[in-house]
Amino acid sequence: MTDMARVDKRTYQGVEIVRISGEIDLSNAAHVRDAIGADLPDLPVVVLDLTDTEYLDSAGIAMLFRLAERLSYNRQELQLVVPPDAPIRAVIRLTKLDQVVSVKDGRDQ
Amino acid sequence: MTGLAGARGTWRVAIQRPGRGQVAYVGMLAAVGVVYYASARIGLTLSLVERNVTPLWPSSGVAVAAFLLAGRRLWPAVAVAAFAVNLPITEGVLAAAVTAAGNTLAPLLAATLLLRVGFRRQLDRRRDALAIVFLGALASMLGSATIGTGTLVVSDAISSDRLVSAWSVWWTGDAMGVLTVAPFLLCLPLFRELSPWSAMSWLEASAVLVVAGGVATWTASSELPLLYLSLPIVAWAAWRFQLRGAAPVSLMVCLITTRTAVNDGGAFAQLTLFEQMFTLQTFNACVALTSCFLAALVSERNQAATALASAAVELENRVERRTAELSEAEDRLVEEMQGRYEAQAQLNRSETNARQDHEIAETLQRSLLPDRIPQIPAVALAARYVPATAHLEVGGDWYDVMQLSDGLIGLAIGDVAGHGLQAAATMGQLRMAVRAYAVQDPSPVSVMRGVHQLVSHLAMQEMVTLTYLVYDPATRTLRFTNAGHPPPLLFGGGHSKYLEDGVSPPLGVVEAPDFIETREHVWRGATLLLYTDGLVERRRESIQVGLHRLLREASGHEDADVDVLCDQVVSSLIEGDHIADDIALVAMRPLFEADEQLSLALPAEPRMLVEVRRALRRWLQHSEVVPDEVNEILVACGEACANVVRHAYPTAAGDMMLEAHIVDGLLDMTVHDHGTWRSPVDRGGGWGLHLIDGLMDTVDVDRRSDGTVVRMRRQLTARSSST
Repeated sequence: MTDMARVDKRTYQGVEIVRISGEIDLSNAAHVRDAIGADLPDLPVVVLDLTDTEYLDSAGIAMLFRLAERLSYNRQELQLVVPPDAPIRAVIRLTKLDQVVSVKDGRDQ
Repeated sequence: MTGLAGARGTWRVAIQRPGRGQVAYVGMLAAVGVVYYASARIGLTLSLVERNVTPLWPSSGVAVAAFLLAGRRLWPAVAVAAFAVNLPITEGVLAAAVTAAGNTLAPLLAATLLLRVGFRRQLDRRRDALAIVFLGALASMLGSATIGTGTLVVSDAISSDRLVSAWSVWWTGDAMGVLTVAPFLLCLPLFRELSPWSAMSWLEASAVLVVAGGVATWTASSELPLLYLSLPIVAWAAWRFQLRGAAPVSLMVCLITTRTAVNDGGAFAQLTLFEQMFTLQTFNACVALTSCFLAALVSERNQAATALASAAVELENRVERRTAELSEAEDRLVEEMQGRYEAQAQLNRSETNARQDHEIAETLQRSLLPDRIPQIPAVALAARYVPATAHLEVGGDWYDVMQLSDGLIGLAIGDVAGHGLQAAATMGQLRMAVRAYAVQDPSPVSVMRGVHQLVSHLAMQEMVTLTYLVYDPATRTLRFTNAGHPPPLLFGGGHSKYLEDGVSPPLGVVEAPDFIETREHVWRGATLLLYTDGLVERRRESIQVGLHRLLREASGHEDADVDVLCDQVVSSLIEGDHIADDIALVAMRPLFEADEQLSLALPAEPRMLVEVRRALRRWLQHSEVVPDEVNEILVACGEACANVVRHAYPTAAGDMMLEAHIVDGLLDMTVHDHGTWRSPVDRGGGWGLHLIDGLMDTVDVDRRSDGTVVRMRRQLTARSSST
C-alpha cells in the first residue's frame, strides 16, 4: 500500500473487516481510500479496524466521511473500531465522526 | 672535281698527322698544282682581253681555298703551276715569272689577311662573308692585277692605253675567281663535317642546281636583259642549304654567264668590251655576294635558332630539374605536413576520445549518485563527490543515504576498484541493489549478504568494498557492517573513534563471508564521517598517517555546519590541484533538540508531513510529554503544516518552518511559511483549523506580508515519569 499505512482486508462471518495500521495524512489519504474501496465485497457491514492506526488527520477524517457516505448509497453500513486509548480518539471526537459513523471500542466482534 | 675530292682526303691526313712525312706534302703540292693548272686553263678559255686576261680567274680561288684548307706552305705548288700557266701566254720567261709571282702572292696575302681576322672557312658568319669579299677577294687581288697588267704593258703584250681596262678586268677576274671558286671549294669539306643531307635534300639541291643551270643558260643566251632571274634561285639555294647549296649554284651560274659573255652570246652580243665586262662582273658580283652573304646570314640565323633552341632546351632542362627539385621538396614538405597533420589528428582523436570517455564516466557517475541528500529532520547531512582530475581516473566511488521504515536512516559508502565507464556502471548497479535490499530489510547483515550474492552471481570483475550503516534516531544507535572499506569516523564532543569493528573481506572475494553486525551508540555532539580511500591515501605513505590527518582535520571543524565540514576536510586533505583518485564523502550529525527548542525547515510537500511528525514526536518524547498529549499535539501541528502544504504555495515550491519550545510546562509551537494566506472558507471545510482549535489552548494566525504564522500554545498537564 504505502510506506506509512497498511490496509489488510478479511471477511469474517459475513462481515468485511478492514484493518488499517500506520499513519494516515494528507499525503496518503487518497491511497488508503483506494485500498479500502478496491474489491470491496457487497456485504451489509464493513468494519474499519483503526486499533493500530497511529495517526489520523483532517484529510483522513474527510476520507472516512466520504467512505461512509459512499457505502450508505450502496446500502452498506460502515462501522469503526477505535479503542478508548487510541491515539486517534481525540480526532474522532473533535470532528464528531462518531455521530455519523458507528464507533465501537474494541475487537469484541 | 673527283681529283679534288681525292686531294681533299689527302689534306685531311696531312692536317691530322703533320709529322707523317714529305710524301703527303708532295702529294698535296702535286694535287694543288694540277688543280690550279687545270682551273687556269679553264679560266683562259674565258678571256676577254687577248688570251690572258679573263673576267673569271678560277685559279686564284683555288689558291686561296688551298691555303685556307691546307696551309700556306703549299705556295710552291701555286707558284709553279702559275708559272706553267703563264709561260706559254706571256712574252718571255721573266714576264711569266713575275706574273706567276703576282698570282702566288695575292692568294697568300688573302689567306694571311683572312687568318689574321679570324676567318672561318665554314663561311657561316656575316663577318666571314665580309672578310672573304673585301679582304680575300677585292683587296688581295689588287696586287696580282697590278703586277699582272704591269707585266703585260712592260712586255708590250698590251698597249699602255689599255692598262686601266686590262687592270680592271684582271682585278675583277681574280676577285671573282676568289668569290665564286673559293666558296665552292671551301664548302666541299662541309659535306663531311656537317650533318649529312637527307635523300630529299640531295634531290632538292640537285633540282635547284639543274634549274639554276637551265635558267642561267637561258637568260644568258637570251637577248633580253634577264640575267638577274638567276638570283632568286641562288637565294633559294643559300636559304635552303647555305654554303653547300649556294656555292656550287653561284659558281655554275657565274661560269655559264661568263662563258656566254666571252662568246658574245645572247645579252652580251651587242655590247662593247667594257659594257660586257661591266655587265658580267656586276652580275657575277651580285651572284657571289648574294650567295655568300645570304648563306652566312642563314647559317648565322640557324645557329642562333639552334643556340636558342638548345638554350631553350637547356633552360627547359634546368627548369625541369629545378621544378623537379622544388616538386620533390614540396612533396617532402607536403608529406611532412601530412604526417604532422595525421599525428595531430590522431592525438586530437585520442584526446577527444579520452576526454569524452572521462566526461561520460563522470556524468554517469554523478547521475548514479544521489541527486540530492534527503532532508531528514533527525539528522544534518552533507555529501561530496570529487572526481579525479586526471583523464579516465573517474572511479567507482559512491555513497547513498536512504530513509527507511520506522524512521531508520540507511547509509552506504563503497568503492568499485578500477576506473572509467565499467566501474561507474558497476557502481550504479550496486547502489540500486543496496537500496532494494535495505527497503526489504534494513538489517546490515541482510543487506550485505544480498549485495554479496549479487556480486558473486554477476561475477563482477572489480573488487568491491562497502560499508553499510543503519542509524536509528530514536535510540541514537548505529548498526553497521563493513566489507573491506576504510573505517567510518565518529568524532566530536571530546571523543573520537574509527569504527574498525565488524570488518569482513571485500565483496565477492570470499565465497561465503561471515558478515558481522556491530553496534555503536552515537554520543551527543558526535558526527559520523564516511569516506573513500582517495581522501586518506597518499603514495609512499602509510594509510595510518592519512587516518590521523583526517581525524585531526575533522576534529578541527567539529562545530562547523556539516556542509562546511565536508568542504574543509576535502580542501585540506587533497594535495594541490591534482586529485589522483576520486573521493566520496558523507557527513551525518544527529540532532539533539530535546532540552532546547525544536527548529525545522522543510519543503512544503505532503511527504514531509510524516517527517515533521517524526521529529516532533521524538522531541516531545525526549521532552517527556505524556503520550496522549503527544498524539494530540502531533495532530495540531500536522494540520497547521498540512495547511501550508495545501494552500501556501499554489504556484511554486516553498518551505514550511516549525519551531517549538517548552517553558514552564507551556508548549509554544509555531508553524510559518512564506506564502499567501487564504481564509478557511476558501480552503474548503476548515477541518484543520477546527482540529487545532480543539487540540490546543490558543491558536493565533498572524497574516504578514512575507507569509503566515500560526502560533499554537498548550499547557502541558503533567510530565510522565518515564517513556
